[in-house]
Amino acid sequence: MSRREGSLDPQADSSVSPLPHLEAKIRQTHSLARLLTKYAEQLLQEYVQHQGDPFGLPGFSPPRLPVAGLSAPAAGHAGLPAPERLRLDAAALTALPPLLDVVRRHQAELNPRAPRLLRRLEDAARQARALGAAVEAVLAALGAETRGPPAEPAAAASAAATAAGVFPAKVLGLRVCGLYREWVSRTEGDLGQLVPGGPA
Amino acid sequence: MPKEFRISGRLAAWDLRGGPLAPAPGRPRLLGSGPLSRLLRTDAETSGEPWAKPQTPSSLTPDTAVISPQDPTLLIGSSLQATCSVHGDPPGATAEGLYWTLNGRRLAPELSRVLNASTLALALANLNGSRQQSGDNLVCHARDGSILAGSCLYVGLPPEKPFNISCWSKNMKDLTCRWTPGAHGETFLHTNYSLKYKLRWYGQDNTCEEYHTVGPHSCHIPKDLALFTPYEIWVEATNRLGSARSDVLTLDILDVVTTDPPPDVHVSRVGGLEDQLSVRWVSPPALKDFLFQAKYQIRYRVEDSVDWKVVDDVSNQTSCRLAGLKPGTVYFVQVRCNPFGIYGSKKAGIWSEWSHPTAASTPRSERPGPGGGVCEPRGGEPSSGPVRRELKQFLGWLKKHAYCSNLSFRLYDQWRAWMQKTHKTRNQDEGILPSGRRGTTRGPAR
Repeated sequence: MSRREGSLDPQADSSVSPLPHLEAKIRQTHSLARLLTKYAEQLLQEYVQHQGDPFGLPGFSPPRLPVAGLSAPAAGHAGLPAPERLRLDAAALTALPPLLDVVRRHQAELNPRAPRLLRRLEDAARQARALGAAVEAVLAALGAETRGPPAEPAAAASAAATAAGVFPAKVLGLRVCGLYREWVSRTEGDLGQLVPGGPA
Repeated sequence: MPKEFRISGRLAAWDLRGGPLAPAPGRPRLLGSGPLSRLLRTDAETSGEPWAKPQTPSSLTPDTAVISPQDPTLLIGSSLQATCSVHGDPPGATAEGLYWTLNGRRLAPELSRVLNASTLALALANLNGSRQQSGDNLVCHARDGSILAGSCLYVGLPPEKPFNISCWSKNMKDLTCRWTPGAHGETFLHTNYSLKYKLRWYGQDNTCEEYHTVGPHSCHIPKDLALFTPYEIWVEATNRLGSARSDVLTLDILDVVTTDPPPDVHVSRVGGLEDQLSVRWVSPPALKDFLFQAKYQIRYRVEDSVDWKVVDDVSNQTSCRLAGLKPGTVYFVQVRCNPFGIYGSKKAGIWSEWSHPTAASTPRSERPGPGGGVCEPRGGEPSSGPVRRELKQFLGWLKKHAYCSNLSFRLYDQWRAWMQKTHKTRNQDEGILPSGRRGTTRGPAR
């Protein structure tokens, strides 16, 4: 792998190339992330449609409230070493499924006749788990450390974060769907830098 | 462990000692913490009390604002009084400059008034039904447009009594029911419909579980149904504003049996007869063990028409001949079955679905006619001439006395063939060519 920002091992001799199976794994995971980025965008659009205006209106900007157990990619994320970025990606993807489940349960009450939305939320939780596991497999193949100590279960945190009101629940769901899109997109970008022949 | 309180039907977790759950160091604060714990109550949601003291408030950020009432449910045409109370973040924040939006549209200033330094009130009258089932979004904004708090309004109607329940059993194995929601279902609120059933003389209420099987207001009971004993069936409709129950329908499964459409429907020409097609089918196999007599119906239409003609009373036969058709025309044909007489019952069953359309074409006519081709008079009525008049009379007699009688069709075939032969011979004798023009060679006069 060539020496560039975000390369796996800045000390490595540039003539040493990763094993073919690692390249294949990275490509495969990158493709998955790219596909899920598209699905995440569709989920977000479907979500705002069912909450009613102003959720779907341009310029709608509710407070970007912090969600317990998960935050958006930091401004300095792109400047971190590749293993660290992938670790953060994996951690976020692990934290997302319980939050998406909470949103799905809210929406099952608010929009019971929106089966496509509910299915997309269910699929998103499953897909986030799959992508998180794939990223961890890439990290393991790279010989990098994977997760730190297990975080506070997001389910308990998200249950505690259940707002006393429908409007805050709608905003929470919007925030979670937005975070899902940000993190799968971030993961796609981080893996894209590792794909041989990808952007420097 | 934090104790759980019920707020407007939803759970939230709070630490009784210090109010909201304290976030771990470095972790973001929880949504909905802050002043909520001080204002927390366990009673049910309120509904539009004038200038109500905040009871189950909603804050999007800690120490910002609170809207009351929270998520009220209201009848169409009713009024709403709401308040938005700011909590001094940033310090010195007041109600001046605040404004309301409903579903993203800014509300007219005259609908609001400043109650006190920190509270903006809103009065809405004659409310319309909610625009979406998740609730109308009523939002309190700061002067700069940022969102301080929100509440969702549910404006609608209680359900009306569902009616027109109809049920059928496919081959006596299951039961599917369909109904019409009262007031055509438009309550503007999510309304839940539940189909209930029980054996009339004994047993407990059961609830159907497989909904929307044949449309939005339908349910399917797949198994464990008794025969030879009546069931009572009804529908309950429930939403936030109330509930309603349909009348009870009583039926025996055996009286509402339907079956599959007849399989293997074949349509073919009848030799060279240009106005007839033969239809054959097989009786549905699923009910063969249940001693029933089938009735059948056939319908057919011309390829480019939407008007079907129906042939009734095709009793217990598995073939029929269609007559009076247009020559050289493609017809679509379908057949359906009614399984009456199950276990000796005198009651008719329920017609099956129509079979898949089967197509066939009638032969083109060889007889000369006006314009060079044969055009069957409209509706099968003869237009002119002695032969056509006789044909009209014979067809009328045939339809009245023996529509699907094989014997009659044999006679008719023979008559038709004879007529064609007679017509050709007459034309030859008179020197008339197929185009209708007279030829130069004349044959002996008849």
